Amino acid sequence: MLKIPQDILDAMVSHARELAPHECCGLLGGSDDLVTQLYRIKNVVALEGAETVTHFDESKVAHLQLLSPEERAEIAFVMDAHEQALALKDMRAKGIRLQAVYHSHPVSPARPSLTDIKNATEFDVIREKLNLPKPLYLIISLQDRVNPDLRVYTIQNHQAVSAEFRAV
Amino acid sequence: MIKVRIPTPLRPLTRGQGEVETKGGSVAEMIDHLEGMHPGLKARLCDEKGELRRFVNVYVNEEDIRFLKGKDTVLKDGDEVSIVPAIAGG
Repeated sequence: MLKIPQDILDAMVSHARELAPHECCGLLGGSDDLVTQLYRIKNVVALEGAETVTHFDESKVAHLQLLSPEERAEIAFVMDAHEQALALKDMRAKGIRLQAVYHSHPVSPARPSLTDIKNATEFDVIREKLNLPKPLYLIISLQDRVNPDLRVYTIQNHQAVSAEFRAV
Repeated sequence: MIKVRIPTPLRPLTRGQGEVETKGGSVAEMIDHLEGMHPGLKARLCDEKGELRRFVNVYVNEEDIRFLKGKDTVLKDGDEVSIVPAIAGG
């Protein structure tokens, strides 16, 4: 069972609240099912409204053009590829492994969307070839603003299955 | 010969192929060669300045080219290149 220190759980909720109404995203690294490191990753989509990010717009548009209208309506986070790569590199340097991918659902329940399941399934195929470990997926729901709901899933073959985690 | 893994969102440009064989002495040359075979691919991978877009990672074998020499990373016969979209969801 994945064990997550309380301060890291709190940090993910803080991240989600800071980015709302956009989604936040990041990676959790650790070893032996214990998370020891949180990596906030920039959400390219969440930057859309910011003043200084006009140079992101084109990439975002190009990415969204690859998706069907239904997918476009759902998509809400795209990790900055460079920051994602830096986080994975840092894990390697520290001798830890990717444990989980997290993101927030500012107004919806803490369960994977169709887009989440589709993308995680595709990532699952490719990460094996790149010798990356299989991550769990953690979703922070802010639907209840006072009591955020955090849930963990395994996702493969287009199926999301609820998994357990424990605060330590 | 260089083998390139194509992610699902780009396969409409490769007639559905998940792997294509190409050539090139560097990643930049390989991308140009891919563009010749499958027009439109380059614009998906690179911006107008030729830099890798912020939602795409390119791996040579198991290493991200951002930590090698970027688009100048040397390729040799038998290398495997993976085009990997940044982690995304909804």
